[in-house]
Amino acid sequence: MTMKTTLKLNLGPQHPSTHGVLRLILELTGEQITSCEPDVGYLHRGMEKMAEKMSYIQYLPTVDRIDYLAGFFYSELYIRTIEKALNIEIPEKAKKIRALLLELNRISSHLLWIGAFLMDLGAISPFFYAFREREMILRYFEKLTGQRMMYNYFVFGGVRHDIDFLEDIEEILNILPEKIKDYERIITDNPIFLTRTKNKGVLTQKTAINYAITGVNLRASGVNYDIRKSDYLYEEIDFNPVIMEDGDCWARYKARILEIKESLKIVKEVLEYLKKSEKLKQNLIKPIGIILPEGEYYSEIEAPRGLASCYIVSDGKENPYRLKWRTGSYYSVNLLRELLVGNYLNDAIAIAGSLDIILPEVDK
Amino acid sequence: MNTEKFLQIFQDAQLSGDKIILKSGLHDALKFLREQSTFCILKDISAIDRSEKGIELIYHLYSQIDNEDVLISICVKDEAESVIDLFKSAIADENEIYDMFGIHFSGNERLKRLYMPQDWEGFPLRKDYVEKDSRLAWNDNEDNA
Amino acid sequence: MNYLYHLYIEFLQKYGIPKLAGDITFYIIPFCIIAAVLLVVVLILVLAERKLLGFFTQRKGPNRVGLWGILQTLADAFKLLFKENITPQNADKFLFNLAPILVFVPVMTVLGIIPYSSEFTFVNTSTNIILYLVLAMFPVLSIFLGGWASNNKYSLMGAMRAVAQVLSYEVPMTFVILSIVVLASSMNLTDITLAQYSRFGITGWFGIPCFIGFAIMFICIIAELNRCPFDLPEAESELICGYNTEYSGMRFAVFYLSEYAMLFANSIFLSILFLGGYLSPFGGYLSHMIWRDTQIANILVYFEQAFWLFLKSGLIIFCIIWVRATLPRLASFDLLKFSWKWLLPISVINFFIISVYKLGGAL
Repeated sequence: MTMKTTLKLNLGPQHPSTHGVLRLILELTGEQITSCEPDVGYLHRGMEKMAEKMSYIQYLPTVDRIDYLAGFFYSELYIRTIEKALNIEIPEKAKKIRALLLELNRISSHLLWIGAFLMDLGAISPFFYAFREREMILRYFEKLTGQRMMYNYFVFGGVRHDIDFLEDIEEILNILPEKIKDYERIITDNPIFLTRTKNKGVLTQKTAINYAITGVNLRASGVNYDIRKSDYLYEEIDFNPVIMEDGDCWARYKARILEIKESLKIVKEVLEYLKKSEKLKQNLIKPIGIILPEGEYYSEIEAPRGLASCYIVSDGKENPYRLKWRTGSYYSVNLLRELLVGNYLNDAIAIAGSLDIILPEVDK
Repeated sequence: MNTEKFLQIFQDAQLSGDKIILKSGLHDALKFLREQSTFCILKDISAIDRSEKGIELIYHLYSQIDNEDVLISICVKDEAESVIDLFKSAIADENEIYDMFGIHFSGNERLKRLYMPQDWEGFPLRKDYVEKDSRLAWNDNEDNA
Repeated sequence: MNYLYHLYIEFLQKYGIPKLAGDITFYIIPFCIIAAVLLVVVLILVLAERKLLGFFTQRKGPNRVGLWGILQTLADAFKLLFKENITPQNADKFLFNLAPILVFVPVMTVLGIIPYSSEFTFVNTSTNIILYLVLAMFPVLSIFLGGWASNNKYSLMGAMRAVAQVLSYEVPMTFVILSIVVLASSMNLTDITLAQYSRFGITGWFGIPCFIGFAIMFICIIAELNRCPFDLPEAESELICGYNTEYSGMRFAVFYLSEYAMLFANSIFLSILFLGGYLSPFGGYLSHMIWRDTQIANILVYFEQAFWLFLKSGLIIFCIIWVRATLPRLASFDLLKFSWKWLLPISVINFFIISVYKLGGAL
């Protein structure tokens, strides 16, 4: 008679490949995972509670911190909601500037993911290569906004100041496609990489929809859902959402590479517009003492890690009555419960890595 | 979605702004939306403390086929129906609402403290939450002063 | 070695020390030399690896301590020396302490049986290869011991992976070594080296008829060393640090040291089997070409032989580091599959080809 016992393994919160402080309570038979229970909250900062105590402008600098790798997205989302509530139309050029910065931010976020994912798979070099390219983008952000990560550049009614240093973006546009080709050469065709990602962690359409997975992870499973298509910032911009069919780790990797290329296209297009455009004229509203009319306001954005939304309930006072964030990563963590079961430990790391979970976004 | 058809089936539902307010029968309504209609993504569940009315839960559903959103709202006291058998993503949302608002979802056995420590008392996002917990840093300072 | 031995005995007898004492001490002295040289080699290797990885990933690598970062590893070694040795509370304390000691013994012994030059083999038995195989297997036992004794789940998993990996890669490796033994008709490393001699240098090397075997052996050695892409026992992103998660301070340093010493020993072994060992790649030795048949040339040739050996093994180490910088890690089951499904059959075929080749040569 054989006796089957399981091993309970605490993966994290201090583990090199949980990308922060995620804790997974795994139950293993041998090296096979029989159950997985994510435990989050080690990075909880009470973003929603904080909002209720702060005025709208006070809260603005903190929203970048929800996702420190894609700060522009959350400040744009927050500002967008308030502009919606106050019925503010932002000038055409400000829209284009926002779209440009968002796409650059998306590229930098995806680049970091590529590095971190390959690190999870045990390859060290791509991490440094990806960081080298990401550095160019961050340098540009620093030049423009004075910050590398928490930009605080978008304000109610436009942007803080006019865009500048366009030649830097041109340089990025020249260098990055070459480098992406290099990545493809060192990563995509690598047989070890293929065996480790092909058919691993297959996320079917049905499961993805059931778990409310959005963003690249959903599109890699073959669902055409990109909120940018109906986004007012991208109205006149021509681009195609990246759709992959397989839904495995490889598809998620490839989808991100293709999405970088797509974003570069958008950046190029917007850059042409910005070069021709005149100086930015905008009527910024006085941010101190903003009061939203009573009501409920909702808006959403396609963040690099899935659909993000902001829901503000105002009771006509200086601070929001209730503010709710929806973040993509939180649902990806929830998905780990199902996706990891039946896989071996070293595949599990790759699968969890491929979902692009970032913990500040999960914990809010 | 045909809102009128929905309102016909669920008699006590009423339309207010862009959300449908239910009085009861949340699970049935969501089941109808998922199985009879095409709303298969539950984007999120928001909870708002409406003090005297209880806690309002807003279910945000999305139909990928029709590219359409629908908001279902219901006010509850401390107990609500769980929808995890319809939408797996609700595991995450309901757990968060349990942690922050203390609403117990019947049928969901996975509820536990999520962001707050296991032994935390009170539910922070409720409007009647008193911030007098001695474990909070600022309260400690007050005592010292 | 006989030459050195007689020199030594003569030297002792000059001072009236009996021959027996000379017989005993003669075998101890080399190991002291090895221990000293090994430390230096490991320091250089660690620095070289970090520098090379730096260049591969477009960084500078260590460049602060000493000129060009030369003293960085020394500083690290001192840091580790002064660090606290922590023994986990629930660990098996005896085994936990025994593992780092045991890991170092076979490494030292392995380096003793290698012919560095034609007169410089400390222990020269007729079946050196078998001895080598056994000793090279040994460190995995202490890895398992350490992993088991740590009482840590990650360590245990790392240890189990290490054993499974070494066991499965030992088999194709043995077949490849067997084909070399067939080629050289000897199990002695010096004889194997000499069997690769040819007037044109490089053409005599066993790496040419046995190139398949060379590739297999290269892969197996990387696997035995637990290095990327076969670094599953200490996969950082999965098992944190595998079997040495719980080790700290000097105990960790000993594991680290033995890892690099094994890298050095294995690359030397590989160059002896396939790249002609200490033979010159040009056929004749450079010192003979320059100084003809003088006394200097006869002494210098020993150093030249050691130089060729170290150069060849250095190239192999460079390739191993290169591989590490390029490839992602294999999954644990793919790793075992790769060994049993691919390497083993190919190594058997290789053995067959080599046997036919040898037979053809004899006819």
